[in-house]
Amino acid sequence: MPQTEIIANRPQRWDVPFGDAMRDSDVDQLLQIEPFRSIDPERFPSALPLRAILKNDTRVNHYQDGGIIVREGDYGSSAFLVVQGKARVVLAGLDEEVLGRQPESKPGFLKSMFRQWRNPRLPEVRSHVASRSELIGNDSQQVADLAQTRVFLQDIPRVLENTRSVVLHPGEIFGELAALTRSPRTATVLADGETVLLEIRWQGLRDLMRRTDALRRHIERLYRENSLRVHLRETPLLSHLPAEHLEAVAEATLFETYGDFQWHETFHSSSSSHSGSSGKATDAVVAEPLIAEEGSPCEGLVLVRSGFARLSHGFGHGHRTVAYLGKGQVFGLAEVIGTSTKNEPVPMSHSLRGLGYVDVLRIPQAVLEKHVFPNVSQQLLDEVAAEHAFFRPEHHGSQAQVETPLLEFLVEQRFINGQQAMLVDLDRCTRCDDCIRACAATHDNNPRFIRHGFRHGSLMVAHACMHCVDPVCMIGCPTGAIGRDRTTGVVQINDPTCIGCSTCAESCPYDNIRMVEIRDSSGAIVIDDSTKQPIHKATKCDLCTDLPTGPACQSACPHDALVRMDLGNLGELSEWVNR
Amino acid sequence: MFIRRRLYSVGLTLAVLALLVYWTYYQKSALGRVSFGTGYVLLAAIFFLALYNIHKKLPTLPWGSSSDWLQAHIYVALGTALVFGLHVDWRFPTGILDLTLATLYSATFLSGIVGLVWSRTIPARLARVSEEVIYERIPMLRSQLCDRAQEAVLETVRSSGSTTLGEFYSRRMHGFFERTRGLGYFLRPNNRLRRRLLAELTEVSRYLSPPEQVTCEQLFAMVRRRDDLDFHAAMQWRLKAWLFLHIGLTYPLLAVACLHGLLAHWFGGGLL
Ligand code: HEM
Ligand code: SF4
Repeated sequence: MPQTEIIANRPQRWDVPFGDAMRDSDVDQLLQIEPFRSIDPERFPSALPLRAILKNDTRVNHYQDGGIIVREGDYGSSAFLVVQGKARVVLAGLDEEVLGRQPESKPGFLKSMFRQWRNPRLPEVRSHVASRSELIGNDSQQVADLAQTRVFLQDIPRVLENTRSVVLHPGEIFGELAALTRSPRTATVLADGETVLLEIRWQGLRDLMRRTDALRRHIERLYRENSLRVHLRETPLLSHLPAEHLEAVAEATLFETYGDFQWHETFHSSSSSHSGSSGKATDAVVAEPLIAEEGSPCEGLVLVRSGFARLSHGFGHGHRTVAYLGKGQVFGLAEVIGTSTKNEPVPMSHSLRGLGYVDVLRIPQAVLEKHVFPNVSQQLLDEVAAEHAFFRPEHHGSQAQVETPLLEFLVEQRFINGQQAMLVDLDRCTRCDDCIRACAATHDNNPRFIRHGFRHGSLMVAHACMHCVDPVCMIGCPTGAIGRDRTTGVVQINDPTCIGCSTCAESCPYDNIRMVEIRDSSGAIVIDDSTKQPIHKATKCDLCTDLPTGPACQSACPHDALVRMDLGNLGELSEWVNR
Repeated sequence: MFIRRRLYSVGLTLAVLALLVYWTYYQKSALGRVSFGTGYVLLAAIFFLALYNIHKKLPTLPWGSSSDWLQAHIYVALGTALVFGLHVDWRFPTGILDLTLATLYSATFLSGIVGLVWSRTIPARLARVSEEVIYERIPMLRSQLCDRAQEAVLETVRSSGSTTLGEFYSRRMHGFFERTRGLGYFLRPNNRLRRRLLAELTEVSRYLSPPEQVTCEQLFAMVRRRDDLDFHAAMQWRLKAWLFLHIGLTYPLLAVACLHGLLAHWFGGGLL
């Protein structure tokens, strides 16, 4: 993987400790065990020594029997090394309820329709409130930091009865793929007996990987074995390639990551300083990591695996955003085909830059020449070339016409992340608040969004959960209360298991999660027994998943002013804007 | 998309109305009575129009989106004008009850038309104002702005020692920041006061010391902001007020219309 971060001094991330400080003796001990024993410390630069990585980017976690280490479907930003004891990877999907995720009970169809008659008058009333001790189980190790709370599975033998599982022993690593590629965890891992794990945050893992061939090869093998083939098959040129050639392409594919995995932490400050002046916007574009540069000779095809990239075109002294690419989209198709037919490298027509965090696959031109072009028909080649003569990703629709300033606005504010963003057309909105009232009626009298937000002309993106492609809010929820529904993609908070630590609310770059104090059915604010503080819960839009009509806000708007929309789909957006 | 929807709805409405007109002329030519027929159609239409209020109150029921309902509401309501005309045979009634009823109907109808025009034109005017504000927050924003203006002026007087701006502020501007606008402005928002204050501020700025000049610049921005807030307040209030009146007329209309229908049956049509 290329080095996209230039290390001049001590990495900034080390200013924030990763858990309790590691002592020097702890680090000494780690250096005695595999894989660290065989890592060559000489290969690390003086500003980033191996010792310092271990000291600052890792922490030792102790788990009791049955402690949940990672949960299937969760997003996380660290990997784990088994130091002592055993970890059990549960391969077959565990019951969501066992993992503390399923909402208690969903109201039925009729109940959900007529529920507004039973809505409490006061805000944020809960009929049942579980105490923290109920949720966290027999947590002997009381942690002050709520974000480090752990959830336990009771009665493990019964839970695991009919599931397949694999046991990991000291020296083995897990969770690295999810940490590096921002994909949901593919399995649940439990502590099997008393277990000690070393948790490594993703930056540390990336730095270790860059300088440790064995580790890099291990992770790249995992990459290849996982979704790579599926991903390649979805690419226009490769969809009909004979299996053995696809295999060869897969073997030669390069993996690259750009930008900052934790982009949301720095995003707030940079966006607030963004005044909208074009000079600043240009600086912002140039500061983004370059994946491919306009005018440089074509070297191969780029596929976006996760995250977003900005496609831009030089204009005057700046860069004009033409589109943004997300997961599954391709860059450079016209150029690779041109290079092949002309037999000399064609210059790239656009630049591609990482926005926040982006994970890409690169298929070198030579590999395409050898395995792809000889095996696809001229007809397919012509079709693909014609379609991509000018950039036009397939699901953007053929007449996607979104004016550049709007595109810049959506990119600058990172609204491109939204799959269900709430757009309000201020030229039509009579500010009647029917949308707010409908939302409140659906959520026990508590509106779950604010009809206010960033504006571009008469278009407003309101403060409502966008159910993002890259749900940064889900990173690090200690109880897994915030999760994504696997069938609908809706990000939901399971109220009973939310412990009010506000990790999600602080991570949301759009400020769309609200922490609220809750009341019991008598209307009194609920106080936690142990801390004597009010109990908080995270709340946000749940897209009215249990309503037959879909989001109540949209169907309640009399003037067609409000819509929930996937901002990754420019065709849909342009249709709405130009209606 | 909106154009296609409009064509479709207008076409459908005209077709239904044409059928109705044809029926009445057919009945009349056969010397039949049309009053009960048109009366019931009108009553049903008014019930349907009023039902929109209930629809809005029950947003979780799966009975169509509010936007579809409003479209139906508008075209049915427009159609009632013709039905009403046929029903009263294009003459305004004279009896006390009938006069009340006809007036109520006309008022509701007119308020609907005016409201529709406002609903379609005011939002774009509001969107042109630089800042989007939530109606309920306006009083709070206003008083914050007033405090800031006063604070800025006092601070300048204190630090610079010169009172030109201070005196001008307390004489000409403090009232503007402190008080809400009068009814006249709410009925017809205009930028006369804004223009006058800005002009006076420009005039006085010639006599200001450099620190006062800086504050004066801030005051320019604050006057504009305050005026924008007032504009939002007035326009959003208007959008709420008309609907309040429109609903307020609806229920008396319904009640009187039902009474009128009952009486018509009792007296065998003698009242018509
Ligand atoms: C003549 C009998 C009419 C009756 C009984 C009637 C009744 C109603 C009722 C009950 C509402 C619901 C208000 C709410 O709950 O928020 C409403 C809304 C509305 N009416 Fe009418 N209406 C009539 C005529 C009209 C006409 C002629 C028009 C215009 C062509 C019109 C335009 C509207 C509009 C635009 C709204 C919705 C405003 C909003 O939600 O912003 N109405 N009407
Ligand atoms: S319901 Fe529609 S018109 Fe009314 S405030 Fe909401 S977005 Fe605006």
